[in-house]
Amino acid sequence: MSKVVEVSPTTRHEGHTKLVLKVNDEGIIERGDWLSITPVRGIEKLAIGKSMHQAPKISSRVCGICPVAHTLAGIEAMEGSIGCEIPDDAYLLRVILQCANRLHSHALHNILTLPDMYLPGTDTHINPFSAEEPVRSVALRIQRLREIGQTVGEIAGGEPIHPSNPRIGGMYKNISPRAKAKIYDLAKEGAVLAREQMDFMITVLKDWENRPTASVASGYEVEKNEKFGFHDQGYMAVDPLYASTNLDADPKWYPERWTEVRPWDWYMGEQEITLDDPNYPNHATTPAGAKAWPQMEACTAVPMYDGAPIEVGPRARLAIFRNYDKKGAMGLQIARQMEYPDCLYSMMEAVDALDTSGSVVADEIPQGDGSLGWAANEAPRGTDVHLAKVKDGRVQWYSLLVPTTWNFPVCSRALEGAPWQLAEVIVRAYDPCVSCATHMMVVDEEKKVVAQKLVQ
Amino acid sequence: MVLGNYKTALSARSTDADILKCSQDGGVVTQLFAYALEEGIIDGAIVAGPGDEPFKPEPVVAMSKEELLAARGTRYTISPNMKLIKEATRSYGLDKVGIVGTPCQMQALRKAQLYPMGMRSVPDKIALAIGIFCMENFPYQGLETIVEDHCNVKMESAVKMDIGKGKFTVYTERGAVSQIPLKETHKYEQPGCHVCLDYVANLSDISTGSVGSPDGWSTVFVRTKKGDDIWSKAITAGCFETKDIASVKPGLDLVTKLATGKIDKNKKTLEERATFGVGKGLRNPYI
Ligand SMILES: Cc1cc2nc3c(=O)[nH]c(=O)nc-3n(C[C@H](O)[C@H](O)[C@H](O)COP(=O)(O)OP(=O)(O)OC[C@H]3O[C@@H](n4cnc5c(N)ncnc54)[C@H](O)[C@@H]3O)c2cc1C
Ligand code: SF4
Repeated sequence: MSKVVEVSPTTRHEGHTKLVLKVNDEGIIERGDWLSITPVRGIEKLAIGKSMHQAPKISSRVCGICPVAHTLAGIEAMEGSIGCEIPDDAYLLRVILQCANRLHSHALHNILTLPDMYLPGTDTHINPFSAEEPVRSVALRIQRLREIGQTVGEIAGGEPIHPSNPRIGGMYKNISPRAKAKIYDLAKEGAVLAREQMDFMITVLKDWENRPTASVASGYEVEKNEKFGFHDQGYMAVDPLYASTNLDADPKWYPERWTEVRPWDWYMGEQEITLDDPNYPNHATTPAGAKAWPQMEACTAVPMYDGAPIEVGPRARLAIFRNYDKKGAMGLQIARQMEYPDCLYSMMEAVDALDTSGSVVADEIPQGDGSLGWAANEAPRGTDVHLAKVKDGRVQWYSLLVPTTWNFPVCSRALEGAPWQLAEVIVRAYDPCVSCATHMMVVDEEKKVVAQKLVQ
Repeated sequence: MVLGNYKTALSARSTDADILKCSQDGGVVTQLFAYALEEGIIDGAIVAGPGDEPFKPEPVVAMSKEELLAARGTRYTISPNMKLIKEATRSYGLDKVGIVGTPCQMQALRKAQLYPMGMRSVPDKIALAIGIFCMENFPYQGLETIVEDHCNVKMESAVKMDIGKGKFTVYTERGAVSQIPLKETHKYEQPGCHVCLDYVANLSDISTGSVGSPDGWSTVFVRTKKGDDIWSKAITAGCFETKDIASVKPGLDLVTKLATGKIDKNKKTLEERATFGVGKGLRNPYI
């Protein structure tokens, strides 16, 4: 007889989610629903009627870890709608900003991941806050990597959290030769640290993978399954590093392949919690007898590509552009670490190519005729698609398909076969960013809105 | 304490003839920044650069001596230098920022350092804050009216303006001097200046002005540890001629008198705000 256990809230990721898990007598997940319970904020709805300049600045506030993705995807979707091409040097500054943000985000995620992992060769979980070596040096290195990322973001983007420099048509400001040199120096320093950090993380992740048993943080050990975190869904990515938009000569994302279903059609119906565990780390699981109703509680629509859920993020990028083929939760984690060097090398390349006296704003910024524009930005967590229709400088329609929204159903599938006590390890492999993932319109094949949560 | 905290007060002027050629007084501001820039104490300074109309300043981040020279001289109108304080640490890529400003701008700076609202990375990047004495300021249209209507000088012809000894004076390109009593200018002052309780830039590292020293010389207060350190290095490097403030006329007595006058007058304005309406008053930012 299967039982239902609920972990709510989940921890060590951005935002507010829970896990509703149907498990067999051995505690192995038969069906898992991982769902957002972050309140819908309704960015898409309130953007309507606002100026095309303001809407992306609002959508930046969707998330403070990857505001760069939302700012750039938002602006480029508007530019896609009005048909505005930006100058090369503005593009280069955006690329630098993108690299900077990915660097900081991946490093931040290391901190969230490490407590699940062990010091290789020992049974000691890693506590990133420990003052003891070797962990101390790792924590300091992570801090420095984040500092480098945020400082570069500050220079190229005006601000690392909610960048102020990007604007419709390019950027507000080019940078000084001094700032250019500073970015280059920081990237050089970061490249060395990033490589060390990547090597360290991959060692730690492989060590975890090779253990027969594991626990979440300092909980009790359970046996792992062989295909931990595997799923059979496909991958979606538009670029190894940056983005694709409808203005590209060869766009890499296809709006016609995207549909959505309501949480109602995809998540489990009402369940009674029949299994609980007062000793689950951080806080007990939901007490038995309580009710859960994923269909009703999930705050995200379920986007599909070619009619099926699809994984986005570091592994999807590596799988599509570099033939990476490692599956499972650790496959995803390792792919993320492998993106470290490129953040720095691409940053150096872009800053090298930058002409600090070049113009960074398009000469002409059309006001739009209501055509559909879209931009797919490869955010740290995967493809962040913004779609917009702009007419006379105002937003008529705006939709955000953010990485974690794509990953919710995929990750839910990937839970199957794992011991429920380790479900959070799978969730964390996706580096979820749930504030990002709450969006409320649902469209069908004809892109007609078929469901819309009311926002008071 | 109308003159604020300071370690040293003295009279000084730059030893650089180029700087003195167009400086307002002793060229203290420009000389200090030029020295600090050369020594790497700062890697840029926010100054009131030339704007698109005569005597209308536009804040700039000066990263060379030429840019510093171009910003010499007093423009008796608002130059929002603080608007660049964050940008200096962003697209300009500065790590050690210098800034010049009136007492109110020094206050804004210190406030941003202690309460950095939306001022990420700014507080620890301020390397040298030079304050200039300030009795009051004028909106640009006010200044234009004073110069063009009261002094009968076209703005384009003016090369220097000066307030001192109860007079507003304009010097023209052709050598003419036009002077009016300061009293005539009062109605053009920006109203915000009437609640200002700082005359000699109490919160700066080093502050300077003309009052107290002879023409061509500046009165200087060296205030903070940072200011003291930079000032003594600049003296050792031979940047300034100095005189004991006690030996110059009119000296600190006049500075104290004017500072007291400004503060007393403006305190009164502030008090009046409390009972401005019937049964209600206007806001007081100091409480
Ligand atoms: C509005 C105003 C009122 C003043 N009132 C008095 C006074 O009552 N008594 C007194 O002794 N001195 C006063 N001063 C200061 C004085 O006029 C000189 O600026 C000061 O002595 C510096 O001279 P200097 O030769 O050392 O500077 P310089 O080497 O000539 O450099 C002057 C510096 O001041 C900056 N500057 C010019 N205009 C402005 C502005 N509007 N806002 C901010 N920065 C500016 C310039 O960018 C430049 O860096 C006033 C200055 C201003 C701007
Ligand atoms: S009088 Fe005070 S408020 Fe007015 S400009 Fe001078 S310092 Fe600023």
